[in-house]
Amino acid sequence: MFLLEHDAKTLLAQHGVAVPQGTLLEQVAIEDDGFPPGPWVVKAQIASGGRSKAGLIRTAQTAGELQSQLRGLLGATHKGMTVRACRVETQISAAAETYLSFMLDPVAAGVRVIVAAQGGVDIETLAATPGAVRRATVAPHLPELAAQMTKLTAGFAPHLANALNDAGSALAKVFLEAELALLEINPLFVRPDGSWLAGDAKIVADDNALYRQPWLRKLLGNRAVAYVEAQRKLQHGCDYVVVDPDGEIGLLTTGAGLSMMLIDELRAAGLKPYNFLDVRTSGLRGDPARLVSVLNWIAEGRRVRILLVNIFAGITDLGEFAQLLLAAFERAPHLRIPVVARLIGTRSEAACELLASRNIPVVTDLGAAIDQVKHHLAR
Amino acid sequence: MINPRIDRSTRVIVQGITGRAGRMHSRMMRDYGTTVVAGVSPASDGGNVDGVPVFTSCRNAVAATQAAASVVLVAAEHLLGAIEEAVEAGIKLIVTPAEGMPVHDALRARRLTQAAGATWIGASTPGIAVAGQAKLGFLPEASLAPGPLGLMSRSGTLSYESGYRLAQRGIGTSVWVGVGGDPVKGTRFAELAPFYAADALTRALLVIGEIGGTEEEELAAALTAQRFAKPVFALIAGRSSPEGVTMGHAGALVHGSHGGYAAKKAALERAGVQVCASLDEMTEAIAAWHAAAPYNPT
Repeated sequence: MFLLEHDAKTLLAQHGVAVPQGTLLEQVAIEDDGFPPGPWVVKAQIASGGRSKAGLIRTAQTAGELQSQLRGLLGATHKGMTVRACRVETQISAAAETYLSFMLDPVAAGVRVIVAAQGGVDIETLAATPGAVRRATVAPHLPELAAQMTKLTAGFAPHLANALNDAGSALAKVFLEAELALLEINPLFVRPDGSWLAGDAKIVADDNALYRQPWLRKLLGNRAVAYVEAQRKLQHGCDYVVVDPDGEIGLLTTGAGLSMMLIDELRAAGLKPYNFLDVRTSGLRGDPARLVSVLNWIAEGRRVRILLVNIFAGITDLGEFAQLLLAAFERAPHLRIPVVARLIGTRSEAACELLASRNIPVVTDLGAAIDQVKHHLAR
Repeated sequence: MINPRIDRSTRVIVQGITGRAGRMHSRMMRDYGTTVVAGVSPASDGGNVDGVPVFTSCRNAVAATQAAASVVLVAAEHLLGAIEEAVEAGIKLIVTPAEGMPVHDALRARRLTQAAGATWIGASTPGIAVAGQAKLGFLPEASLAPGPLGLMSRSGTLSYESGYRLAQRGIGTSVWVGVGGDPVKGTRFAELAPFYAADALTRALLVIGEIGGTEEEELAAALTAQRFAKPVFALIAGRSSPEGVTMGHAGALVHGSHGGYAAKKAALERAGVQVCASLDEMTEAIAAWHAAAPYNPT
């Protein structure tokens, strides 16, 4: 999961990594106590790159300017995401901007280290200058990573090389201990005295490691509103994403790939799916609770007019699934819309019979199911 | 070279056979034709599961049965240890279906299986199958018919749907490999290209990819470098997915232009792959190829 910058920097600070002094604001602050010293940078907290280009990172010299920048940013939308919070931090001046990142290298099965003496712009732009970006992949162990840093920074101005080597050891430790997939610091500020701090922080954490990473569990607990999907997966054991708030078709589907493809095909046909879902039928274990939750979430879609159920089950007993589905409808009375079901797998006859008794048509062909959805929407 | 070919004579152990999933899938794999020779459970009292003897370690199981492959049906947090144990016992083909393996564990597992020259398929995979012979994992029978098409997929369900539609049209698969939905995995698309190029029973290849990561781009480079001579078809899920949101699979995450649909499609097309926009288009394209190249194995 992609961490918002504020949470990434909080994690770094907990590991003793220097970051600009900053605070998270979810509303335009009336009083100015609690602010770090100015002048400031006001940074919109959304899970997207290219915030500078999009005008989502601004500066402020006075408290008045700060408030007006916050007013402009909070509630703004970018790529369908709404800015719910800004990090306000002390602007860093008179420092060189360098680049440092660690990421998993899934091919070489190691950690890829990338450094550049000049940072501040995105890495693709940096890489356009021959020799500007240096990279290597090493085994996922601290001594190897530290040794590699020294090799990669050879030839840099001494104060930059020293700062990058020092930062490299500190950040490699965080990368390994916190079990991160990506840790990118761009820019990494280096002051003339050789001290350094992380100007920005892009972190992808591993929610599969949550059970042994207490900081991540705590983050999801404290900041649930910022990580709705991850929180939901943890609580309910399924993946659910609203892909179009104005969508008309609720999807009760299993399997990530097939659910993604179904959304692609519905859109290509000019239809408007509301949500992505991998319900994981094999994890229901005879309890309709997860299905009830899903139906209630879908009921929040104001324009949702039909529910399409698509289950291609390798192992799920569809007779049992149909029973659970009917029980879930009983317990989710807010969702009163027509249902089209497409089921393939063991005991599909039993499922057909059960669902037919409640006027839910069951088909085996996905194209036929989509046609029925179209037919309903055209009414 | 990575070699996922299995048949009825492949001797298979199931690690975690006494668990709920272990029991069920051992039975289903045997029903399909897989030769399950032993199970492993550290707490075994020397008993059996449905007649399959259960050993306390992989080493003992392999010593007693000369097993060559393992299906690991343990929870995600125990996968690394189980893979380590299988490798140490000399197992050369390891399939791990569980979802949710910590990614740093996956990195270690990839290192140790590579160092041992073992093939690791997974994690987060429905498994592999040679239709009509054997399956390791839980690919559904409705999707499995023997035929000339190699199939490799990051998604389980989308491959079930694809295999099912093709089987309905009388087109079956040669070797089916679910590489799994995780970002760090044992076997990647590109690493299977030499196998499919050399496999005499595979006459064309279907690749089922999705957004996120770089596997499709790596495959495109490998096909070009190897001058892969068989027809390749591709289906890529997620072209309308929002940026920055993980779509079910941990590997299906787009940031900026990285991992996006357009780049994957372009790379594959440059390598001569026919990228299909929908399941119907994919089915029709493969059916057209199949009709033009009739095949009668003798």
